[in-house]
Amino acid sequence: MTLSARDLVCSYGPTRAVDGVDLDVAGDSILAVFGPNGAGKTTLLKALSGERRPDSGRVFADGRAVKGSDPEWRSRVGLVSHRTGLYTKLTVTENLLFFAALHGVTRAAPAVEEALATVGARELGRTRAEALSRGQRQRVALARALLHDPAVLFLDEPFSGLDPSGAAALETMLRARRSPERIVVLVTHDLRRGLRLADRVVVLRRGRKVLDDDRAEWKAETLLGLFTDPGNRA
Amino acid sequence: MTSLRWIGVIAWKDLRAEFRSGGRIAAMISFSVLACFLFSFSLGSLVAGRDVAAGLLWLTVLFASISGAGRTFDAEEEDGAFRHLLLSPVSRHAIFLGKAAANLVPVTLVAAFTLFALTLFFRIAAPGSVALHAAILLPGTIGLAAAGTLFGLISRHSSLGDSLLPALTLPALVPLVFFGATASSRVFLDRPWAEISGPARLLWGIAIGLVAVGALLFRYLTDD
Repeated sequence: MTLSARDLVCSYGPTRAVDGVDLDVAGDSILAVFGPNGAGKTTLLKALSGERRPDSGRVFADGRAVKGSDPEWRSRVGLVSHRTGLYTKLTVTENLLFFAALHGVTRAAPAVEEALATVGARELGRTRAEALSRGQRQRVALARALLHDPAVLFLDEPFSGLDPSGAAALETMLRARRSPERIVVLVTHDLRRGLRLADRVVVLRRGRKVLDDDRAEWKAETLLGLFTDPGNRA
Repeated sequence: MTSLRWIGVIAWKDLRAEFRSGGRIAAMISFSVLACFLFSFSLGSLVAGRDVAAGLLWLTVLFASISGAGRTFDAEEEDGAFRHLLLSPVSRHAIFLGKAAANLVPVTLVAAFTLFALTLFFRIAAPGSVALHAAILLPGTIGLAAAGTLFGLISRHSSLGDSLLPALTLPALVPLVFFGATASSRVFLDRPWAEISGPARLLWGIAIGLVAVGALLFRYLTDD
């Protein structure tokens, strides 16, 4: 599995949120995208997943151009965002069965059980989503993203709201997902956790890529220094 | 998975959530019954019920539908589920048709309650065949549900919000309500089918058109 981007540009009115970004991610790797607020991280993630059509540039998966409207591509993508995307009036199991049906998951009930067990939320199955804490919701959202075993898992601030045990479980789960057929793209403000997980680090500033490195020895403090424009540093 | 199955899955999910919250359907039916009561109170001694029932029926169903349409996407917006729905492999057409099918249930319930309430409050002894009323109301409710789903999405993504909904919906639904009221009026007045079939066919045509246009525009609006 490979995921690439060539000269991606995404704008909101006159503002270029993503400005000429190139990327190459191979299977068996976790890409962490860092940057200050407004750096274009979430927009880049949306462009890579096909949720947002770039103004120019292309995204390729396994060498083929990605089209967000292509159902085959969407069936290979999983997403966890800071908004958990659960239907609050439905129970956890009903939510997961619904999304399993949309993704055509065969033997949905056992798959739901397994996904809940993976994220340590088996006991929540009969609880309505509206009754869950923020951290519990995030676990269920993660279970939903895993249901159809996506080739590319996009995570936008996945640690948000998770307690330390939940965050640790997520780290373990992401490491366990490594395989040549899978890619994880992680957008987070949590530099330490992101660096622990990532084998490739990208830093965005004002929509531009200021670092793209596959060495694992980056320190959070060093990366923080890249968040600020050189001209603005004291 | 076939589109039909997806439509069913989405509609079933919406209805399950809808009946658990209950607020929208209860509000729509309460509005329709109250409107019928007020109409009978103010008009009952002035006109014969069967002469005005069709207009009141369609007016009430139209406004009740619009009041409910603004909440069509509440469940999707509440915690960002719409993003995940759009990122699933389900076609945009199936999403629209599933949402519209779920919308059809409250609109049909409102139409049935309104018909019953008008008959009751205006003491219409022979309101015409139930089957004929159903044949007229069914395409009407399909059209209202499709338009409500589409305009519910548009109003959600406009800074004007729900205040935009009547301005968008009412002009688009004038033909539907006109032919619906014409056909229903003839049923209330016990006219032969030959006089009813013309507006009824037009009503079906408009309903199918609204569904088709709704599905196309929904795709356009949700494809980023």
